[in-house]
Amino acid sequence: MAIRNLNFFDWFLALFGMKKTVRLGIYGSVNTGKTTLANRISKDWTGQEVGKVSPIPHETRFVQKKEKIHIKHKGKNLTINLLDMPGLATKIDYRQFLKYGMSKKAARQRAKEATDGVIEAIKWLNNVDTVLAVMDATQDPLTQVNVTLLGNLEARRIPVIIVANKIDKKRAKPDAIRDAFPQYPVVEVSALKGKNIEHLYEAIAKHSKGG
Amino acid sequence: MKTTKIKFDFVSSATLDEKPRNVRINFILNRVKDGTILVTDGVLKPEEEIDLIKETMRRVDDGFPGIEVASLKKPTKGMQNVLEKMVDSKERVQNLIAGLTGQSFEKTSMRTGLTLIGPARFIKKVKKNPNSFSVLTEV
Repeated sequence: MAIRNLNFFDWFLALFGMKKTVRLGIYGSVNTGKTTLANRISKDWTGQEVGKVSPIPHETRFVQKKEKIHIKHKGKNLTINLLDMPGLATKIDYRQFLKYGMSKKAARQRAKEATDGVIEAIKWLNNVDTVLAVMDATQDPLTQVNVTLLGNLEARRIPVIIVANKIDKKRAKPDAIRDAFPQYPVVEVSALKGKNIEHLYEAIAKHSKGG
Repeated sequence: MKTTKIKFDFVSSATLDEKPRNVRINFILNRVKDGTILVTDGVLKPEEEIDLIKETMRRVDDGFPGIEVASLKKPTKGMQNVLEKMVDSKERVQNLIAGLTGQSFEKTSMRTGLTLIGPARFIKKVKKNPNSFSVLTEV
C-alpha cells in the first residue's frame, strides 16, 4: 500500500496535537468528475463550490483552490486546502471542441489553456501532501495516464486514495479499478449524488499526512 | 485508393539508456512528432513518463495533438526489486554529484519491458491489459 511516510515534522506536530493543514490534490484524467468531487467536498463543509462543471472536456484549465476546509469525522479534525487540478492527458486536439459549437479561435484557445493546465497540474505534484486519484468507474481504468500518475505518486511517497467515481451510472464497474490497482485504497462514490461520500471523508482522515 | 505510410522505429533500450534524460525525451518526441511510431524494449521510469507528458504538452499544435503511450513493465520481485532500488539510489547520487559539479548530465536507466509511443493523430485507441496491449491505428 502506498500509504506511508510520517516524517519527523509531521510526527512532531502530531505529538503535540498541532494540526497541520493538508494540501489535498484532486488528480485524474479528463472528465472523471474531479471538479464535481471538489464541489461536493467544499459544499459539504463550507457551503460553497470550487469551480464550474461542464460536459465539454478540459473545463478546468487552471488549478482551483479552496483553502481551510475543516473536516470532522468520527472525532478526528482535519484542515485541508483543496486543490482541484486540470485533467491530465497525453493529447489535446482543438478539433474535439468544435463539435460543442465552439469557433475555431475559441477551440484553439481552449486547447492552449488545457495544455498549460496539464503542465501546471504536473508541477503541483511537488506541492501536495495527499492525492485523490479520481477515476471514472464506467471507463477502463488501465490507462497510461492513471498508471503514470500512480507511479509518480508512489515514487514521491505521496499518499493516494483512488476514488472510483460515477457509481450511480449503470455501466459503472468499480471492481475493475480494484482489480487494476490492488495495492491502493479504493473508495467508491458518486460525487454527483453524494453517494458513499462519508466513506471518502473517513479515508481522507485515515490516510492524510499530518492529520 | 490513397495509401498513407506509417513508419515504425524499433530502438533498443541500450541506445536510449546512453542518452541523458532530456536528450532521450527530445529523441523520442522528435520522431513521434514526425509521424513515427517508436517501439523499444524498455520502460521509462514514472518520473520520466510524466516529463514526457509535460514536454508533449509544450509541443502540441494544430498538426500534433499529442501522443499515445503504452508500456508493459516486466514484473519484478524479491532480489530484483532490491537491485532496481540500488540502481535508482546509485543514479540519484551520480546525478546529485553531476549537478553539484555543474554537469547537466542526468542519467536514468530504463526498466525492462516494452514501450510503444506514437502520434495521437494515427493511434486512435490503446487497449491495455496487465500482460498485453493492443493498438488501433487510423490513417
